[in-house]
This record gives sequence, structure tokens and C-alpha cells, in this order.
Amino acid sequence: MQKMKRSIFIFVFLLPTIVAFGMFYLYPILTVFYTSFCQWDYTNIANPTLWSSAELLNNYKYIFSTYPYFWEAVRNSVTWAFLGVFFQIPVATLMALGFSRKMKGIKLIRNIYIVPCMISSAAVGMIFLQIYNPTYGFINPLIKIFNSSFNDSILLLEGPAFWAMTGAYIFFTGTTTLLILGNIMAIPEEIREAALLDGSSGFSQDWHIVIPMIKGTLRTVSVLAATSGFLLYNEVYFLTKGAAGTYSISYIIRELAVNSPRAQYGRANTVAVIQVITGLIIIAAVNGIYGISFADLRRKLAKKGEKA
Amino acid sequence: MKKKKSTVKLLSAKDRFFTYLILAWALIVALVPLVWLLLSSFKVDPLARPGFMLPESIYLQGYISTFRDLHVMRYFKNSLFVSVVSVVISVIMISMSAYVIARMEFFGRKLVTAALYSTMFLPATALTFPVYNLINKLHLYNTHGGLILVYACSGLAVSFFVIKNYYDNIPRELEEAAQIDGCNYFQTWFHVVFPIARPGIMTAGVLAFLNNWNEYYWSSLIVIQKEKLTVPALLATFSTAFRTNYNGLFSAMVVIILPPIVLYCVFSKFFIEALSGGAVKG
Repeated sequence: MQKMKRSIFIFVFLLPTIVAFGMFYLYPILTVFYTSFCQWDYTNIANPTLWSSAELLNNYKYIFSTYPYFWEAVRNSVTWAFLGVFFQIPVATLMALGFSRKMKGIKLIRNIYIVPCMISSAAVGMIFLQIYNPTYGFINPLIKIFNSSFNDSILLLEGPAFWAMTGAYIFFTGTTTLLILGNIMAIPEEIREAALLDGSSGFSQDWHIVIPMIKGTLRTVSVLAATSGFLLYNEVYFLTKGAAGTYSISYIIRELAVNSPRAQYGRANTVAVIQVITGLIIIAAVNGIYGISFADLRRKLAKKGEKA
Repeated sequence: MKKKKSTVKLLSAKDRFFTYLILAWALIVALVPLVWLLLSSFKVDPLARPGFMLPESIYLQGYISTFRDLHVMRYFKNSLFVSVVSVVISVIMISMSAYVIARMEFFGRKLVTAALYSTMFLPATALTFPVYNLINKLHLYNTHGGLILVYACSGLAVSFFVIKNYYDNIPRELEEAAQIDGCNYFQTWFHVVFPIARPGIMTAGVLAFLNNWNEYYWSSLIVIQKEKLTVPALLATFSTAFRTNYNGLFSAMVVIILPPIVLYCVFSKFFIEALSGGAVKG
């Protein structure tokens, strides 16, 4: 009886979560994989049909070789993932190290730095759309200092548009900084004091003592930054809608599946499969980078120790 | 107290310079866009005084019409309703399942944990069409119910780990005592564990609320009727709605970003602890 009650309790308490998981993750991901091999578009919305075995990869072939924006989107999304790891994380770490100093007013500045992360990325995108506006924004006047004949909209120029979009989100690392700062604060004071006795202080102490101690957190936030860069959608929508070479993978999925009047569900799901797999590769790569670079760092530190 | 002072003195001039540089950068990044937005919202005609030129006088017409003509309060209400209901549902759901997984051994426990963990690596955008399709089939397209369903089901992993982590730190003796006193499983959870875990559950709730309040992707996909939009989706209509009325545009944007900023200023201590996983004191 008792055992039965226990089983019922477990079942009832798990059920809502399992239903939610099934509905929002399991069923969709299975559909995405299956229909990525289906002929399925606005002409047969109710009944996707699996391509015959000879044509099974039709959607993939179309996406890889015919769809005009696919490679542009891959290049952009992968670049944003890369910038997440190699730009956002170093910046966030530097900010966290700065905030870990004990100075007057530092808490206030730290709290202010997080404010933009409280606003939706839709709103931030909208604000930057105004900042980049050539007639009343403040970026064009800045460019004019160096190039007085510049009258274009930066968001319409292929090349600059990509970097303008990047600039609209990449500096807002408040929440990442906070996570790193949390880990820095957790380092026992004794270790810092020991480092001080060895003559290591300030940024030299940070580099040799603090960074190696927070590598677990750095790896986690690197994965998060890479993923969110890789999945960028809102910025693309609000700033350019994909113009001037700024498509992202998320953007073309939605374009193919929903926005286009000639919606192509099968092909959208093909891109989705590619997104899932590439995302996993990126996560594995970030983990790999951390494995290697920190092993190197440790080795160097060990060598230094031997010399001393 | 003395210790604090000595740490500052030990920073060399070079280190102190770099630290000031970092702090200055933090202020520039956070404040320049927002100050510019605020400044522009006071200008009668932002076209006539572009960039950081100060407004000639403080013009508040845009703010008045944001409330009177745009009915911005309606959209705040929509966002609040959708966010609160979905957060309550998901937090209750997760605090139930996380409890079972944290405390009980059963067949399939590892599988459920792995499934929840895997949601962290499944990009929501990849699931766009199946979810959109599902919402349509359930006749929830263009309803707040559809959006609540999506929000309640998404973001499982973060809430799960925050709450489970909290349960793991509660000593089991309390539950054993409750059971000896005759509480059944449900009563033990409801009367003993749930109240103790409230801070952890609150943290998960605050994070989920912030996410849902700011969420744009699903909101713009599922709800299309203007009166039902949430705040982020409303922003997408601005470019056409305010075509040449820039003062109105800037004022409306200021009003829209204000609630999360005010909330953050009032409860910054709480937000900072929640966002840093409790490690940074606010």
C-alpha cells in the first residue's frame, strides 16, 4: 500500500513536467527531424509526404546549393557564436575583475552596468535602430568626423551592417559579468592573501590565480554566449530584416516556415536540423577549447613554479 | 573594514588606472544609449536637433499620447497577465518534479533528468514550425492562452536546476520528522519542503518572469491581433505606427523600457542575487 502511494505520488508530481517536455520539446524535435525529409510546403499543408528514397535528401540539397541565403546565414551565425566566446567572454571577465575590486561606488556602477540586460532585446534593437538612423541618430555624426561626405545608412551597407548589428548587442554583458563575478567572490580570501605575500596583486594576481580558479564558470558562460550568438534573431528582425548580408539561421527558419507567403515547412525544418546539429558542434568545440587552453595554462604555470 | 582599505592601497597605480577605465566603460555602455533615448524623447522634432544636441525645451506631448492614444497600459496588462500566469504554472510544475527527482529513487529518474538537461541544448527557434503548428491545432493561435502554454513549457532547464539545487541543500531530517508525525508525501512537500524552498523557487520565478516579460520571438509568432500584443511585440509595430512622429516614437520607447528598469532599481539587491545564483550580494 505504502509503495503504491509512493508510486502514485511520483507519477503525479512528474506528470506535468513530462507533458510539458513532450509537448514543447520531444514532439517538435521528432517532427523537425522527420519532416526535414518530407516534401511539405504551402501546397500540401495538411499532409507532408516523405520523399522517395532516391530523393530523400532533396530538401538538404536545395538548402545547401539553391537557397540563396543559407551560407550567408551560416557564416553570420557562426561568426556571432565565435564573437561570443572570443569577444564577449573576455570583456565580461574584464568587467567582472574590475567590479571585484573594493572601491567606493563600485556597487552602484556594477548595478548600472546591468540595466541594459533588464530590457528586452527587442527594445534594445529598436533603440539601436534609432541610434543608427542617418538623419537623427548619433552614429552618423560620429562617422562624419572622420569622413565628412558620409551620408548613408550604416544598416544598408553590406559589411558595416553586420558590424553595426553586432555592436547593437555585443557590449551588453551584464548578466554574464554577474555570473563570473559571483564565482570570483567565492574564491577564499586566504588564497588571495597568499598570492599577495608572493608579491602578486591586481591584474597579475587575476591572471595567475583568479582566472584558473574560475575556469568552470568561464566555460559555462562561454557555451551560453556562443549559443545565444548562434541563435540571434531579434536583432536581425529589428535592425535589418536580413538586408545587406545580415541573415541569421534563426531568421531564415522563420522566414521559410511562417513569414513567406509560399511557406516551405519541410525546408524550414531542414534548416532547423542543421541548426540543432551545428549548435551541438559549437558547444562541443567550446568545451574542447577550454580543455586545451587551460591545460596549456596549467603547464605554463607548473613550469614557472619549477623555475622558482 | 580595515582590510578593505588595505586592498585598495595594494593596487598599483597601473592597476587602479585600468580599473577606472573598466568602470568608465561600464557607464558608457549602459548609459549612452539610454540617455540619448531620454534626451530625444523631450525634443519637439528630433530631426531638427539630431544626436546629443540638447532639446530646446522639454516637450512632453509624446508621453501624453503614449498613454492616451497608444493605450500603452493595455499592453503592460497583457504582458503582466501572460508572464505572471505562465511563471506560476511553470514554477509550481517544476517545484513538484524537481522535488521527486531530488528526493526519491525510482525507475527512469536519470532519464527524466537527462531529458530536462537536453532542453538547454535544443534551440527554441529550431522548433518554430512544430510549435506554431501545435498551437494552431489546439485552437490557441492568437490567444494569450497559447502564449502562456509556450512560456510555461519553455525554459524548463533553468528553473529545474535552480530549484533542485535548493532542495538538495535542505536537510532530509525535517521530512523524516514530518512523516513520523503522520504527514503523507504530499503534505510533507506542501507544508514542510515547499515553504523552506521558497527563496530558491522565488529566484527561479524572478528569472522566468524577466524572460517572459521580455520575450519577443514566440510572442510575435503566436499573437497577431494588435489589442492582444505583449510589450515587446508592440515595439515591432512602432516603425510604421510612428512613421514621422519621432517625438512620439522616442517617448513610447522610454515608457516601454521603464517598468523593468524601475523594478530593477527598487529590487536590485534581489535581482543581482538571483542572476548571480546567490553569490553576489546586491
